Amino acid sequence: MERERLEGLLIDFIDGRLTESERKEVKELLSTNNEVRVLYEQLKQVTTAMDRSAEINPTARLSRGFQQMLTEEVAQQHAPKQRQVFFTPAIFRAAAAVFLVMSGVVIGYYVNQYNAQQERLAVIEREKQEIEKENLRLKNNMLALIGNESSASQRMKGVNVALTIESADDEVVEALVKTLNEDKNSNVRLAALDALSKFHQEPNVRKALIAALGKQDDPVVQIALIQLMVKMKEKGVLKDLNRIIEDNNSIKPVKDEAYSGILKLS
Amino acid sequence: MTDEQIMEAVRNGDLQQASLLFDRYNKRLFNFLARMTMDRDLAEDLTQNVFLRMIRYRNSYKPGHKFQSWIYQVARNVFTDHYQVSKKKKTDHMDIEKVGEWVADDNDGHTIDEQEKLLHQSMQLLSEDQRELLVLTRFQHMKYEEVAEMMETTVANIKVKVHRAISKLREHYFQLEKI
Repeated sequence: MERERLEGLLIDFIDGRLTESERKEVKELLSTNNEVRVLYEQLKQVTTAMDRSAEINPTARLSRGFQQMLTEEVAQQHAPKQRQVFFTPAIFRAAAAVFLVMSGVVIGYYVNQYNAQQERLAVIEREKQEIEKENLRLKNNMLALIGNESSASQRMKGVNVALTIESADDEVVEALVKTLNEDKNSNVRLAALDALSKFHQEPNVRKALIAALGKQDDPVVQIALIQLMVKMKEKGVLKDLNRIIEDNNSIKPVKDEAYSGILKLS
Repeated sequence: MTDEQIMEAVRNGDLQQASLLFDRYNKRLFNFLARMTMDRDLAEDLTQNVFLRMIRYRNSYKPGHKFQSWIYQVARNVFTDHYQVSKKKKTDHMDIEKVGEWVADDNDGHTIDEQEKLLHQSMQLLSEDQRELLVLTRFQHMKYEEVAEMMETTVANIKVKVHRAISKLREHYFQLEKI
């Protein structure tokens, strides 16, 4: 008999797994063959040793470790989970990726635009400061020249500087009005009127010009003032124009200009 | 409650029920792993790892599937993974003369005779597959049908392999006895 089959039969015999006929066959062999009997005894010994081998006990460490692990797992189960956004199918993920890239490009473009705009504003601001600085320089220059009582040409130069000033503040207007009303030289007064007419839209300038008409007695300046009032369509000067007409000291060209003014403004 | 009903509850999120399965299986799994590793401390660590996997991978348990087969499969994976990670085989670092001493432990008062020591030394000389079959069928008294189901093979195949393993064990046992 083949060795492997024999051993299998003997093991099954020990385990009580054989059919009745197989059992008879093995018993027959055991009673007649000494070698088989030795083999049987040896197999019986090792299988019995295995079957009788006592279970071993784990230490309390295993149980403690398990309880601790379970507690941690339960706590983790109840902990708020970080929500993971996951698009399926893959086309959605691809779409999301494209969207992100496009968003990045658009945001980048606008950030760039914003920066460029800020730069332009900074340039404008710098230019504005330069202009203000220049105006201040011109104003100071003008005030210094106008204040020169000894030289009419210097005062004329100062008034001409006023013509180059973009906007007139109270100090400039006051200096020009003073020149218009009080300067000894009629050419300087005319130049001051010319400079003031540039700012006639300003309420304070307008008011000063109207007041000046009542004070002026220089015919040349009076005519120029009347013409400016007509140009300004200032009806508030009608009373002053009537006074000029009725004034015996007024010369004819002035009266004529006053009549003409009344006619245009009425 | 059956093992399967408890495991389904665990699978559905009732983790506390895992304690029942631990109570029913911890000793058996520990013994399986202890006889495979011949190392009590390591076997306790690996047993704990089995129950950790049982909880973490609870969704891999298919409802209706036999729990015992599933948990033993987890234990086999834990054992295999351990030696794959540590890149060494049991036989590489076990001193054959010391094999058997691990069974005796002062804590449970278990004493070991020469016959049992010889048995464990012989077991150590078997291949891992043969040792596993004998641990399951002879030490753990599992039926051939249960082992066949766990290993996804036929009962006849298991039976032949067990017979060969016992035969090999007998050879080692009586060779060692002569020394």
